Amino acid sequence: MRHSSLTYQFERFGLVVVWLAFIALFGVLRPDTFLTWSNFSTIFGSEAVLVIVTLGIIIPLTAGDFDLSIAQTLTLVSMATALLDARLDVPLWLVLPIGLGIGALVGVVNGAITIYFRVHSLIVTLGVGTFLHGITLYIGNSQTVSGVSPILMEWVIIQRYFGIPVAFYYAIGLAAVIWYMMSYTAFGQQLLFTGRGREVGRLTGVGVGRVRLTAFVISGVLGALAGILYTGTTGSANPNSGTYLLLPAFAAAFLGATCIKPGRFNPWGSVIAVYFLVTGINGLSVLGFRTFVQDLFYGGALVLAVMVSQLVSGRQERAL
Amino acid sequence: MQGSVPRLEIRGLTKTFGGARALNRADLILRPGEVHGLLGSNGSGKSTLIKVLSGFHAPDEGELKIDGRDVALPIPLGRSETHGLSFVHQNLGLLHDATVLENLIAGDHERLRPWWINWRAEAERARALFAEHHLDLAPGDVVADLSPVKRAQLAIVRAADRVREHRAHGAPGVLVLDEPTPFLPQEDVRDLFAMMRRLTASGVAIIFVSHDIDEVMEVTDRCTVLRDGQVIDTFDTATTERTALVEAIVGRAVSVDRRVAALPAAAPAVQVRDLSGDIARDIALSVQPGEILGLTGLIGSGYDEVPSLLSGARRATAGHLTLGGQRLDVATLTPSVAIASRIVFIPADRQRAGIAPDLSLTENATLPLIAGRLALNQRKLRRDTGDLIRRFSVKASSSEQAASELSGGNQQKLVLGKWLQLRPRLVLLDEPTQGIDVGARQEIYDRLLEVCADGGAVICATSEFEQLELIAHRVLIFDRGRIIGELKGKDVTKQAIAEACYKAVETHAAQ
Repeated sequence: MRHSSLTYQFERFGLVVVWLAFIALFGVLRPDTFLTWSNFSTIFGSEAVLVIVTLGIIIPLTAGDFDLSIAQTLTLVSMATALLDARLDVPLWLVLPIGLGIGALVGVVNGAITIYFRVHSLIVTLGVGTFLHGITLYIGNSQTVSGVSPILMEWVIIQRYFGIPVAFYYAIGLAAVIWYMMSYTAFGQQLLFTGRGREVGRLTGVGVGRVRLTAFVISGVLGALAGILYTGTTGSANPNSGTYLLLPAFAAAFLGATCIKPGRFNPWGSVIAVYFLVTGINGLSVLGFRTFVQDLFYGGALVLAVMVSQLVSGRQERAL
Repeated sequence: MQGSVPRLEIRGLTKTFGGARALNRADLILRPGEVHGLLGSNGSGKSTLIKVLSGFHAPDEGELKIDGRDVALPIPLGRSETHGLSFVHQNLGLLHDATVLENLIAGDHERLRPWWINWRAEAERARALFAEHHLDLAPGDVVADLSPVKRAQLAIVRAADRVREHRAHGAPGVLVLDEPTPFLPQEDVRDLFAMMRRLTASGVAIIFVSHDIDEVMEVTDRCTVLRDGQVIDTFDTATTERTALVEAIVGRAVSVDRRVAALPAAAPAVQVRDLSGDIARDIALSVQPGEILGLTGLIGSGYDEVPSLLSGARRATAGHLTLGGQRLDVATLTPSVAIASRIVFIPADRQRAGIAPDLSLTENATLPLIAGRLALNQRKLRRDTGDLIRRFSVKASSSEQAASELSGGNQQKLVLGKWLQLRPRLVLLDEPTQGIDVGARQEIYDRLLEVCADGGAVICATSEFEQLELIAHRVLIFDRGRIIGELKGKDVTKQAIAEACYKAVETHAAQ
């Protein structure tokens, strides 16, 4: 049985092992700056936004669709939240649902165009994302908007448990919910068949169009949630905030699909992959490497992850 | 022409697939300038023979001579044109989005310079070629806009053009037309035949593969009949009776043990009325409880459409279905409605529509059971799948392994298990044993007979007549989208089915 074999267990936890090895390596090299709780709690808290974006994209990815617009959904909602809160003084209990509603609307648009016009989601969401960025620049006048209510910041970054900002716990909670949804609900199975056996699913009564649309709405809402948290983390909205999150999120999603449940996009793998990537970058910058390591690391990880997953599936084919 | 060197000569061609002889010492002689028909039912070996010529299969034994020269077998794939062999397959091999000219010169490496195409000169050349063959084709037309017959003409003229000019030793070539006609209207087939005649007048020899005896009678000079991998005989078409050809194709009856007995008359469990799809027209049929109804016919006759229409897998243009007092409109039927009415469908395309190869056996088998559930008990699903695997004797190491790791027969048993666990009232099958070994076939038949014993109804569309003889209580014969014959009880034999299918072709030639 393949599942109990040693190689399979190594595959599942290989990334965790490499992650711990990284921590050990940087810890030995820079024990005073890298191996401190404050450094780690900063990493955990500040990258919660990236975790949520990654969790957002694995839903449509599982259904066989790409959502490249998620980063711009984040930027737009971040900007909208800041404007409504700081400039228009709309109460926070109203701002949050509006933000999430924007995300859901973007998901509906992405899904409707992809499904009803049968256009590849890569193209649709690339276009929609750029369009959203245009809206963000227009409403924000291409400037950073600050002066966001401290209550929002309180509930995202200032509140800490064990020294880690509360945003981290939101991300972990969300990962748990998505894990449950993917493993223990009929919708999770339908999502899987929509991506991996669409015709089989359709003939077994799965409304594959509806499933794909729902997946886009979920990724839109999660993008919006990440946007709200982003505003809460920095206390402001920057018109280019999401631009630098898209590639890392894809790198983490594909890297995450090589562990925990190898061969499938999975939430815990995604969480581990995000923190693996961030630890690597943080460690290298502590060692004195400059910002270019980010691009090297994220870009390299994405390509490497895809190569590894091809190798794994290729090995399975040869084993037949 | 007697005494002249044959254009193509095949001697003792033998090909075995995993112990089964697909071709057994087949001989074939093709004279210059003749149209030579190749006849035979499914599995007779005609496609194996063609695939040896195209280089797709390497034969176990046999030799090939072209214009008296020995050609080494196997021919490397893609090199058959250098020997003057050119093929037109049923799908024609045209790129629909491209223009006539682009299709015409695609892959013509021997003549074209790789770094520059003179489009104006090529268009001129194409016009001259079309004029020579009396074809109403323009180089700039997009293939998608052409009628089916014009597409066929383009594919044939392209193939003929390839073997005419670029041969090492300058003689006209051999054109292999592999079932080019089943989807063409009768009058267009005449146009194609005229074109074939003009080609042979210039010395080209044609192998015309067809299931349609009338077409073979009309267009060929000679024809060869294959059955069970052997060449039965070669006939001079003009002096041969149709009945002699049918007999050669069908052969003498070899009795197989029928596994079903006559059913007592009963009220039908399933009734279908006015069903129409892409090919099927106004189909009416009924199945009684415990009955296996076989649907068959020749390629393009529409029998294979019926299961996918009745399950909502494909949209019917009209029709309704009555099942245990419940009336369903087939034109608006979806798979989920069909499943809710306990109608299940086992599709022919196992790799794409039957299983999701990447997913586990449990995931594949339990999908129809879990709709709408919010708290799946994974352990129970795995256990149930383990039971299912045992019950349907699927050879697997674990219910968690990927479905792609199973053999074709075990995959099909898994698909059968997935659907039969719903205790269906109507089971629809499309080519249920394609590419499956003998042992697994028997197990699949056992399961279908169990459905019958439970009072379920089965409709099985297949091109394998022997399978119908084994398990069908009754068989409906299709032709051009309509039911034209019915065989029952002891009359359901491989031979009777084949005769009925070929007779169909005869009747519409007489009309």
